Amino acid sequence: MSDVIRISDLRRMFAQAAQQIRREQDMLSRLDCVGGDGDHGSTMVRAMEVLEIEMNRESDQPLHDRLKDAGWSVLAVDGGASSALVGTFIAGMGGEDLGQESDCKHLAASFSAGLRAVEKQTKARPGDKTMMDALAPAVQAIQSAAESGEPVRLVFESAAEAARRGAEGTRDMVAKYGRAKFLGERTRGVPDAGATSIALVFQGFREAFSERKEA
Amino acid sequence: MYMKKFINDPKQLVPELLEGFTLAFPRHVKLSGANTIVRATPKSPGKVRVVTLGGSGHEPGLSGFVGRGMLDVSVAGEIFAAPGAVKCIDALRQACSGGQGALLVVLNHAGDVLAANIAMQAAERENLNVKMVLTEEDISSSVGDRRGLVGCLAVYKVAGAAAEDGQPLEKCVEVAQRMADNMRTLAVAVRTATHPATGQPIFELGDDEMEIGMGQHGEAGTGRMGLKSADETAEIMIGQLLADLKVNAGEELLVVLNGAGATTLMELYLVFRRVTQVLQSRRIKIARSAIGEFITTQEQAGFQMMIARMDKTLVDLWDAPADTPFFKML
Repeated sequence: MSDVIRISDLRRMFAQAAQQIRREQDMLSRLDCVGGDGDHGSTMVRAMEVLEIEMNRESDQPLHDRLKDAGWSVLAVDGGASSALVGTFIAGMGGEDLGQESDCKHLAASFSAGLRAVEKQTKARPGDKTMMDALAPAVQAIQSAAESGEPVRLVFESAAEAARRGAEGTRDMVAKYGRAKFLGERTRGVPDAGATSIALVFQGFREAFSERKEA
Repeated sequence: MYMKKFINDPKQLVPELLEGFTLAFPRHVKLSGANTIVRATPKSPGKVRVVTLGGSGHEPGLSGFVGRGMLDVSVAGEIFAAPGAVKCIDALRQACSGGQGALLVVLNHAGDVLAANIAMQAAERENLNVKMVLTEEDISSSVGDRRGLVGCLAVYKVAGAAAEDGQPLEKCVEVAQRMADNMRTLAVAVRTATHPATGQPIFELGDDEMEIGMGQHGEAGTGRMGLKSADETAEIMIGQLLADLKVNAGEELLVVLNGAGATTLMELYLVFRRVTQVLQSRRIKIARSAIGEFITTQEQAGFQMMIARMDKTLVDLWDAPADTPFFKML
């Protein structure tokens, strides 16, 4: 497969992801009223818009350096745990050498590096009703689809689907991490705001490649 | 519920409140970079710096304790949300330029700890001499999971005094950690607050209910019950605190009552009166006490009760001079 990933693709990915988050900002904040303090939507909009702006910056840096810088720009946002984890993930993606142009397999490795970076900063794991419930399955889906040589469009389709299922699965969970854990049983019945955000981000990534013809 | 607050643009809340705060206390504090509060006159070089970080909306905490004898730097975040890690790294770099290193005091909340850990990893890469002490004294959850509440005030006080006295970083860390290990807090809430940026109530509580174990941001505890009198509430809370800290007759305590924002000093004095009676009956001595609003949550009604086991060193450090906007020791 010769799916080439360029800066124009990263730009579309983060533009679409930001668009998804903007559209659902109020819904995300409402979900956060259950376990948090109701500001998750606005925090995620700030974080995603930073990424969008960083990707649109004119620069001849290699892709991984752009991701690293963009992640650190999110780490400058005052957004509590959400922006710290998103920033850590994107900066972590930059740990994998992508050069000026890359391919699906390298991009998948970069997503895995992002997940490892997040796993180093938080003890939360799938099942704890956090972002990880969407992020971990999405990254695993990217990894296995890329390994079996799927075209990029299908890679991100399976990632978006895995993230969506992961987020939906948090509905029946009891929060075990972050501020919401102190609410215990009261968090059951409503999906986690962070996991829902991550599912929207991967939905944006999917849309960025939806027009892509098979190579 | 309709929010009745005097605010301008909700997006500008934090910069505007910090600007107002520094204008109100120009002798004590100034802004240094975005949302970072430092002393108006830096401590002399060659002394350890004490740094903290945390969300806004809890005024006077945490920036209200920047000043002689307590904090050197407070990195403020958004309303109820941790500051970005990058600002924390900048603050540690600046603090370490004093030459004797820095102590970072962090309250155990997910976002604060993430920002602090990212900043500490950067400090390590840059070989900065920084040590971190985590406060986790809220007994409403199990050990390992405990939130940092008003106990940070005591840690700022003793670590700040040791640093002001010219003690090395290891010594400052040691007294901060000893204070942190020997303190316990329990909170009660009777009425919710509105989030000033979203206008939403931060939790729901019935008109005739109270909740013991409420976190700093209205995170629920486990003890929801009918509203009780000052005496009954004091007895329940001090009883649980003494049991958790395993306080014996003859020991000496620091007792802090921290109003959540809408609870009056009148009520806090009623509670303190009963706490004193209970301690007397158990032959436990109150070495020192502090009653007032230190870390609030908007117009939430309720309070935090903190006790700490004191030894002579900690009492001396507590008594050392301090001159900050919201905590003074003469």
